Amino acid sequence: MNDTKKKDELLDDDIPALDDRRVSVPLTPENARFYRSEGGLISLELTAEDGEREIFERVAVYRAFPVTSPDEFLSVREVSIIKNEHGQEIGMVRRLSDFDEPTQRLFLEELDRRYFTPEITKINSVKEKFGYSYWDCETTAGHIVFVLNNPFSNIRTLIDGKVFINDIDGNCFTVPDPSKLDASGYKKIEIYL
Amino acid sequence: MKLMYELSDADRTALESASGGEKLMYCVPYNIEGDRFVKGFLAITDRKLYKLLNGELLLSLPIAESDDFRVEVMYGSCGFYVRTGGVSRLVCRFISGRNLARYSVIIRACEILAEQHGTDPITNDLPERFCPKCGRPYVNNTTICPYCMDRMEVYRKMFAMTKGLRLMMCFPFIVAIFSVVFSFLVPWIEGQAVNEYLEPLSGTERGSMAGFILIVCAIVSIDLFQRALGVIQSRCSAVSGNRFIMMMKNILYEKLESLSLSSLQRRSTGDLMGRVNNDTAVMQDFVTNQLPNIFVQSVSFLVAMVVMLVINPVMCLFIFVPIPFSIFLIKKFWSTMDLKNRRGWNLENKVNRQLQDIFSGIRVVKSFGQEKREIERFRQSSLRSARQTEKNEMLFDTFFPIVTFAIRLGSYLILLYGNILLFDGEMQLGTLHQINAYANIVYSPLIWMTSVPRHISRFLTSASKVFEILEETPEVGDISLPIDIRIHGEINIKNVTFGYESYNPVLTNVSVRIHPGEMIGIVGHSGSGKTTLINLIMRLYDVNTGSIEIDGVNIKDISQEALRSQMGVVLQETFLFAGSIRDNIAYACPSATDEMIIEAAKTANAHDFIMDLPQGYDTVVGVSGYSLSGGERQRIAIARAIIHNPRILILDEATAALDTETEKLIQDALKKLIRNRTTLAIAHRLSTLRNADRLLVLDHGKVAEFGTHTELLERKGIYYKLVMAQQKMGAIPGGGEPEKAAAKTSSATA
Repeated sequence: MNDTKKKDELLDDDIPALDDRRVSVPLTPENARFYRSEGGLISLELTAEDGEREIFERVAVYRAFPVTSPDEFLSVREVSIIKNEHGQEIGMVRRLSDFDEPTQRLFLEELDRRYFTPEITKINSVKEKFGYSYWDCETTAGHIVFVLNNPFSNIRTLIDGKVFINDIDGNCFTVPDPSKLDASGYKKIEIYL
Repeated sequence: MKLMYELSDADRTALESASGGEKLMYCVPYNIEGDRFVKGFLAITDRKLYKLLNGELLLSLPIAESDDFRVEVMYGSCGFYVRTGGVSRLVCRFISGRNLARYSVIIRACEILAEQHGTDPITNDLPERFCPKCGRPYVNNTTICPYCMDRMEVYRKMFAMTKGLRLMMCFPFIVAIFSVVFSFLVPWIEGQAVNEYLEPLSGTERGSMAGFILIVCAIVSIDLFQRALGVIQSRCSAVSGNRFIMMMKNILYEKLESLSLSSLQRRSTGDLMGRVNNDTAVMQDFVTNQLPNIFVQSVSFLVAMVVMLVINPVMCLFIFVPIPFSIFLIKKFWSTMDLKNRRGWNLENKVNRQLQDIFSGIRVVKSFGQEKREIERFRQSSLRSARQTEKNEMLFDTFFPIVTFAIRLGSYLILLYGNILLFDGEMQLGTLHQINAYANIVYSPLIWMTSVPRHISRFLTSASKVFEILEETPEVGDISLPIDIRIHGEINIKNVTFGYESYNPVLTNVSVRIHPGEMIGIVGHSGSGKTTLINLIMRLYDVNTGSIEIDGVNIKDISQEALRSQMGVVLQETFLFAGSIRDNIAYACPSATDEMIIEAAKTANAHDFIMDLPQGYDTVVGVSGYSLSGGERQRIAIARAIIHNPRILILDEATAALDTETEKLIQDALKKLIRNRTTLAIAHRLSTLRNADRLLVLDHGKVAEFGTHTELLERKGIYYKLVMAQQKMGAIPGGGEPEKAAAKTSSATA
């Protein structure tokens, strides 16, 4: 039944094609010039195949694979007219390294803002109280206390051993290699892995 | 929700020197700057926006020249963006759970300020979601902070719950006192028997037979009495325990049913089931079994110590010698064991989840031929789990005997010392026996008590989970004196804005007036807010701003019971409860007669297929019963709605997943159903809406068009485009039809 519902939605999504829906293009150093906007964000000057130029005062950049390939397949999007919705995709950057050094830096700055995942460097204490788990940690972004409502489902280990922690408040933390934590810290996180 | 935070002195000075005589309207925190967590503040005066950090002014923006205030939810944080004079800026970043709702108010405040100067600060009644004491988050929709919660509070609440059962619950404690007394009496009597009667046997004189028999009788009768008490106690606990758990389950279930849809959907069915079943069972076990046991064990431990001190202080000392060491060992043992067990439990859970996942998706696995890979995956995870369990059990099996031995070291010392005394003739054999028995009384609680903290923490966790639900305030609640009205059918939607999260409005400023008896078709792309609008009319959620009135009465003032009893819904997915077709049709109106049920089924075009079923209207359907096709279930749902006889009828994609033939039958049934009722119908296929009096076109949460079919076609707007697009698709020979046929088969097997 779900499949049919999806299908109906697909049918539905075909319809706005009648409106002006952008066609996403591959973005390369040839057709796209990214530069720092006056407000410190990313602006884009896009040259279409027919030579027509389009300027975006601000574009938003998203990772297609934030975990597995953070610097490839970057979706560059318009800022939507409707708040809280993703704007339409202008195009995709296949590989960040295709662009020159300043552009790369510009992208990484924006991506660091958009994907804020401090690394946990030291676990000071983990306390369980009434089914909630209270953590006190040092991270690359400073000292923080956070709460997990169910550590067994909020702590996720990837195949390469990297650990992701999502807390109640919407924070995101990583532990690149739990075995590199000090012994007492490792012991605290080990049971959840 | 607080919008005026106190600034530090340094920040205040920085702000005052920059803002001069401007009026401070709002001051809210932000949490992230660069790649660091910080404690910064965003101060908003009637003219400007100031960003402050540690006494430094980082940014100031004139509000009048700004537009497009927006919050973007990013990964791991949120950003507040403002466009000033055509230049967009990321003003600040904050932690979503802490401040997202706050910033959604700030956006509105900024928009007001941008339009006109000098208004008063806006107010809001959003609750803070954080404990003011420790700053950690509250449990959803409650003011419970688990971090600050005192254990005593849980015990107190628990005690309050035992009303009516207390007398029965006291009984185990009374019995406990008896059993302690007896457990001390018996070794004493036995000691007497040995000293007075058995030991002298080796000598010349004989004790009196009568005295000996008396002692044997005493032991037997004490044993009998103790067992009789035990029987009564078990029977009492059985009654009080079961009553307690039943009462808890009922209270909890009643509360769950009263909670709003949104808070129930936030939790998984598994979590809710766990709270109703497991957590109440843990509470019951603790109250009726563990608590008396803790009492017995601690009393007997204390008494044994005192008695031994009186009989022989030196021996008592021997008992104590290994105790600190044992306690240390035991604590260490349990804390390691606890961690290992939790890890094992986690791995085992993972295996279970994997199984559940695979079985629910077995069709996909089989159709893509991935059985081998899944078998391998399962093998891997069950191996991991088995290894951990193995390790845990081996550890336990090695360590536990060692611990037990260590604890009992004292009794060897006692035997040694006692025998020395015995040989010297300073102690009698019976006394030694008695002391040895007491030593065991001291030790067994010790071993047992080491697990008490675990029982207590398990109980506290379960109890707090249960109280969490009991103390949750329903988001949609009746006012204190709700009105019961006979609904006529006029619906007036006035300036409604609503979002499932307040910062993300799904509907903005929707105003529509629907006349009684009218059929309104609701059209729009997916995500345009159609279903949301209907949820609001049914009052599954409350609007954020604006109001919905039925016959001129705000729906918040109508009792939910009156409202729902006069509203009927036919959804795309029809849920049939386990039971007969008859029961399912009569679900909303259990008093319906058989004639009414058959009449309704006939109106719904369901009678014929029902009569084809082997057991007619008594055929059992639902999870374990006869499986009906989507179209058949749909018609039962329509019959259900007909019997319910609602004044306001809601059809949410009622014919989306059906083939043309069935759709015709259902269309026909619906036509009879909507007569004389206010009807709201959502449909993707516009042909379904050909009976609609007027059409409401929603676009991105706003009313784009509203009027009759002809009016809207003439306007050549969104509706016109939709109609054209669907006609184009319909023009393709067989276009769309195979899908629908597939839909039928899939729903029949579903």
